[in-house]
This record gives sequence, C-alpha cells and structure tokens, in this order.
Amino acid sequence: MLKVRDDDAAAFDELMLRYQNRLVTVLEHLVGRRDQAEDLAQEVFLRVYRARKRYVAGAKFSTWLYTIANHVAANALRSRSRRPEVNISARATESGGIGTLDKMAVASSGAMPTRQMDKAELRDVVREAMQGLSERQRLAVLLNKFEDMSYADIASAMELTPQAVKSLLSRARVNLKELLEPYFDDGTRPQ
Amino acid sequence: MTNHESAQPEIDDELTAYLDGELDAVSVRRVEDRLARDTMYRAQLQKLERTWDLLDRLPRADVGEKFTKTTLEMVAVAAAKEAEDVKLALPKLKQRQRLAGIIGMVAALAVGYAIGRQTWPDPNEALLRDLPVIENMDLFYQVEDVDFLRALDREHLFEDAEGDNAS
Repeated sequence: MLKVRDDDAAAFDELMLRYQNRLVTVLEHLVGRRDQAEDLAQEVFLRVYRARKRYVAGAKFSTWLYTIANHVAANALRSRSRRPEVNISARATESGGIGTLDKMAVASSGAMPTRQMDKAELRDVVREAMQGLSERQRLAVLLNKFEDMSYADIASAMELTPQAVKSLLSRARVNLKELLEPYFDDGTRPQ
Repeated sequence: MTNHESAQPEIDDELTAYLDGELDAVSVRRVEDRLARDTMYRAQLQKLERTWDLLDRLPRADVGEKFTKTTLEMVAVAAAKEAEDVKLALPKLKQRQRLAGIIGMVAALAVGYAIGRQTWPDPNEALLRDLPVIENMDLFYQVEDVDFLRALDREHLFEDAEGDNAS
C-alpha cells in the first residue's frame, strides 16, 4: 500500500488481485446479494485509490480496507432499507430449494429425525441463518471468520471498542446456535 | 427463544473469546479448569464451536477477470481526472506561489534591515550629530575648559544666524 500511496500502478493491481475475492465474499454475505457486493467492492477499491495519500505507514491495510468497506456497505444497506425491495430471506436459493428456515422446517417435518441434508441445502440454511443476524453482528462474524481478524482489528474497522466486538461476536455465535441447532439435532422447528 | 445457556451472557462472552484466542493466559487456565469439571459449560462450548464451524459452508467469491478489468478501468478514469484537476489548478498555483515568494522576500528584507539597523548603527549618524562641534573644533581647543563651554551654550551663544541648534 505504501507503493500505491507513491502512485505505483503495478502495486495497486497486485493489491486488488490479493483482496478482491476476499472483499467480495465479505460484502456478499453482508448485503446478501452478489451483484451488489461486486458493485460495492469496486466502490471500495476506488475509495482506496482516492484516499491513498492519507494511508499511514505502519497501519494494517486490511483493517483500513474493511473500515472503508464497512462505511460503503452501511450506506448501501441504509439506502436499501428506505426503498421497498424483495425480502432477502425469501429469495430463491441457488439449489432451487426453499429460502427460509421456517419453510425448510415445514418441508422436513414429515422426514426422519436425523435429516440428511445435501451440501447445497446446508449452505442455504447457514446463509439464511447469517441473514438472521444484525448487520453489525454479521460483519463482525465475517471479519473474524473469513479474515481471521483480531478483536482489536475488528474494533478498528468497525469503529467500536474491543469489548464491544467481544460482546457482538458472543451474541452472534449464540444467535447462530439458536437458529441452526434445532435443524441439525433432530430436525424440529425452534419453539 | 433463549435457552438456559444464552441467559448467561458472561459465560458466552468468555467461551467466545476463548474460542477466538482472545483471552489472556490466566483466563485460559480458568476456562480450561472449568471445562474439565463442568459438563454444561463444556456442552455450551461444543455447541458454539459446532455452529461456528458451519460457517465454513458459506461460499467464497471468485470474481474473475471481468471484475478486475472493469475495476482497474474505473480507477484509471479517476486517476486521469485527478491529473486533469492538478493541471488546471497549476497556473493559479504558480501565480500564488510567485506572489507568496515576492511578499516573503520583501518581508525578509524589511526585517533584515530593521535588525541590521539595531545591531550595526550608522557611523555617519554620530558624525552628523556632532557636526557643529567638529566645525568649531579649532575654537574649542583654544578654551580648554568644558564647563566654560557649557555655560556659553546655556546662553545660546553657539546658535548660528538662522537659529538652528545643532546640539
């Protein structure tokens, strides 16, 4: 990033190649849509380029990148919440299956106690559970799980204290457990 | 919808931090001691860990060349615009820089002159001030008594015809 700051174009290319998949992954699971995630990721890289002169040597680039990503995603989600759009949790899944946990529970209620779920269905269930978290919980989970960021780095990126991040991740894990556990233990719907 | 475990947020906070490697050594020992003797505490840890591992099922993006290409094109456009903005601002910037340079030079000269006058007084000033004495030096040597000269000066006997007083 220091080379990018000094207007090295090749360095910017390399930085983009290194982070583009990771950034789009986080944004996709944050906003729930791949097309929007790619648009937002491009906006993030553009902002990184424009702000390159303000980059401070010694700062972690990933923390800086996800601070910008947090702002960009938050703005997008705020704009989206003001506009009536298709409910994310009810969208059709890639496997062609049902999009909500409740509907999956109904479909499985007649099945055997130990349900055999194929990979695509499991992926959809986990994805839906993620959408059941708050935006802040989701981002904290994604940065911790996918980017392996410490509480301190997540706090910096999300402009929170490390203690707040600790609570956020704790609540997120508990919520995920409560959303997913009933379906994997015995297939019954949560009460 | 909360069960017994989630009614204990402190336990969940501690176990989450333990799983994330965020506890100090003393806290890790405390957690591990409790895990060894408390089955419900251990069960809660296992549940939290299991659901966390399920996140590995989430797909990772692979954006492809088109994304890279269009993003770099956007950045190139931004860079070209930035260069254009700098170029347009350059004449004004140069004018401002020239003016600032001139003002700075004048200010530096003024300050330097003032300091110089303080530090090195003009020797000619002393001569100008003492000119009346110098002009009549031959006469004053003849008197040889300064107090007598001062008494004559008090009587205004040294003033010239135009009334100028050089003392």
